[in-house]
Amino acid sequence: MEFPRILLFIVDNTDQQIFTPAIQLCKFFKSQLFVLFVLEEHRISKLASITHEHIDSIKQRIEEEGWEMLYLVEDEAVENGVRTSLHMENGLVTRVIRRYLENYKINLILIKKREETKKIFVSSSIPVIGL
Amino acid sequence: MEMNAIEKLAAIKELVEFMVGKSIARDREQLYEALAKRENLESTGIGEGIAIPHARTDAVDDLVLIFARSSSGIDFSSIDGKPSHIIFLIASPENKKSEYIIALAKLSRLLRRMPVREQLKNASNPQEVLEIIKKNEE
Repeated sequence: MEFPRILLFIVDNTDQQIFTPAIQLCKFFKSQLFVLFVLEEHRISKLASITHEHIDSIKQRIEEEGWEMLYLVEDEAVENGVRTSLHMENGLVTRVIRRYLENYKINLILIKKREETKKIFVSSSIPVIGL
Repeated sequence: MEMNAIEKLAAIKELVEFMVGKSIARDREQLYEALAKRENLESTGIGEGIAIPHARTDAVDDLVLIFARSSSGIDFSSIDGKPSHIIFLIASPENKKSEYIIALAKLSRLLRRMPVREQLKNASNPQEVLEIIKKNEE
């Protein structure tokens, strides 16, 4: 079994608990790790309507938190000698993931099991592991 | 600083020499090794003419951010295949992981914005670069 390209999809900072197993898996399979964070406009708008916070402040905070997560994965991956690329995208998660599967020939998706990631299990054309 | 290198490892060497020359870094070999190790795993050329070489290493005493430009462009093997014209080097001591991650995150967010990239390309002095970062950070 070979997985040359693995995609780790991150939703928020609670995903930190899956960084180590994801990196160890990549190390074991000698895979290249693509780490993806998606800024979803509709989620940001929803959050703004609940919190009454300005939409730009929320967007800025979520994007920065996303980058922090991406760089945390990278820091640990570098220590483990795992090739890693970081990706911040705007759009709908399922569409962005579908594009990544095509453009980067991803072989396996890693995600944290949660309500929001159920749709990825259902819609993915390649194996998905929930950590 | 305006860079002469045309290839990523040569560019990193040039930046390291600059930092050692200005006493920003202590250990030339250690710093180069840390930056090259990261660069060799995957390019820090993030596309749109930007590269952010970075590493945690005790070759520096504090968090360091170096801004450099290349008018001819440097081949950082960027994801979009374009040469890098704006280079931000970030280095921090091993024990300042949190500050290091936050600095990388803030910078990456800023550099995704096209107007910021354009302003940085056209900045005429280091003070202007700082002002652009501060202004867009607010």
